Amino acid sequence: MIDKTITIEDLVEEYAFSVNYLSKKGIRCIACGEPIWGTLEEACIEKKFKPEEIDAVITELNNLANNNN
Amino acid sequence: MAIDINKVLKTLGISDVNNGVSTGRKWVDTKGAVTISSSPNDSKEIARVKNATLDDYEMVMKKAQEAFKEWRLVPAPERGEIVRQIGLALREYKEDLGALVSYEMGKIYQEGLGEVQEMIDICDFAVGQSRLINGVSLQSERRNHRLFEQYQPLGIVGIVTSFNFPVAVWAWNTALAAIAGDVVVWKPSSKTPLTAIATQKIIDKVLKDNNVPEGVFNLVVAKSSVMGDNFLTDKRIPLLSVTGSTAVGKRVGSIVGKRLGKTILELGGNNAVIITPNADIPIAISSTVFGTVGTAGQRCTSTRRIIIHESIYDQVKNSMVNAYKSVANKIGNPLDENFLVGPLIDEHSVNAFTNAVDKVQEEGGKILFGGNVLEGKGFESGNYVVPCIAEAKNEFEIVQEETFAPIVYLLKYSGDVQNAIDIQNNVPQGLSSCIFTLNVREAELFVSASGSDCGIANINVGTSGAEIGGAFGGEKDTGGGRESGSDSWKVYMRRQTSTINYGTELPLAQGIKFDF
Repeated sequence: MIDKTITIEDLVEEYAFSVNYLSKKGIRCIACGEPIWGTLEEACIEKKFKPEEIDAVITELNNLANNNN
Repeated sequence: MAIDINKVLKTLGISDVNNGVSTGRKWVDTKGAVTISSSPNDSKEIARVKNATLDDYEMVMKKAQEAFKEWRLVPAPERGEIVRQIGLALREYKEDLGALVSYEMGKIYQEGLGEVQEMIDICDFAVGQSRLINGVSLQSERRNHRLFEQYQPLGIVGIVTSFNFPVAVWAWNTALAAIAGDVVVWKPSSKTPLTAIATQKIIDKVLKDNNVPEGVFNLVVAKSSVMGDNFLTDKRIPLLSVTGSTAVGKRVGSIVGKRLGKTILELGGNNAVIITPNADIPIAISSTVFGTVGTAGQRCTSTRRIIIHESIYDQVKNSMVNAYKSVANKIGNPLDENFLVGPLIDEHSVNAFTNAVDKVQEEGGKILFGGNVLEGKGFESGNYVVPCIAEAKNEFEIVQEETFAPIVYLLKYSGDVQNAIDIQNNVPQGLSSCIFTLNVREAELFVSASGSDCGIANINVGTSGAEIGGAFGGEKDTGGGRESGSDSWKVYMRRQTSTINYGTELPLAQGIKFDF
């Protein structure tokens, strides 16, 4: 289950598909070959996502995770 | 000769499952999540590492605090003697550690050996420096007074290293911190924990033989949920040295800055080579190819842009493409010395590479060579790519970014060399740069105040492959930190100014009268 407190590091490791998904949303999870620090919520806020947009990203990521399983 | 990686692992004391926490003389039976380290060469599991828990981190910090009280009192040349012995131990294990660096990280064996040699070199440098930690004696304006400055140990130095130089960067920081009287807490990359564990095991015996206090040389393999922002906000750590991306560096700088801590930030580069009509072109090509494809383009100092005068553009372009054709036949297993280019670290790096290849074309660029992912026998991991040369313009968004992979952009300039320098400087990053020219005016301009704005500015030497004797680091989005040689040791110490009155009067500075 992905929530807004998940670290980008864990997201990259456990839900690798998230990297491409978030990249399309303008969020870069990997820089210089390493995951960026911080949580998914922090990464979204840095890109000026509104709370409802963050919720939508989390819902979509969970849907993708379920589809991948 | 083929390298037996199982023998290497055994020699270095790497087991199937390894503890990820050491206080220098003791390994801790950690209970944290398990990281599986795999080789980017074949994606095979090498070994597992048990990560630290928050309790482990706290325990290490307490040990480090205690150790610092003792270590700071050891005379610097005695601390240097420990570092000398660490250098000797690294010499003993150079081939094995170099092979593990190669296997776990993916750089070719020769570069793995080079990485360990850098560790040895900085140890040698630090040993000498341990007798040269000097201050300044100044002239006091007051009679019978002495004014001087000296350097004192700082405390705990937090070190965060990246996968691309998994152990050398630890050595750059640790050798200097140790002779300065500091203690270190090392968080290695989660992609390369085994090289960190092997390094710690190599120094184990030195620490035990010399009765070095437990807690001077600490290793903590941890996830960022255990050792992330809490590491940065920890006021017990006066100095954090972080090697990584600009994104990570901005976070580190902001968090550590809020508590007025010190940082050494070694961040991204967007390094350029300028080739003028006065260049020795064969030397420029040879040097530049190493800079672009060495370590599969995964060095902070890898060459990302080549700025070529229009009068020699086609000649350089054709020479580069021909050189890449040759290199393309030498991509493969990094432990096989027949190859010059190994794999990228993982699928995400491969995706970053292919995205860059796509994006430069979307922005109007043209691929001249490579850019594809290799498949078939020997490339089953999916991490091997053919290094790419693309024609582009400096203002392209993708050219302004650092892609940590072997893609280089050819940019054309016309007129005076100052135009090339302006193009070179017109990126957010400022790590490494170089110019190829035999013209003294062009060369001197490049290293003048109106020349390169990078921390490293070479003439007839490529952007990558720095020696440890000079200070290493860059400006702008590269973070401004300096590590390794020259006077970088000063960052690991606190500066203290002292005035001593050995007279019978009490004159105040600036002649102030204060009689009562």
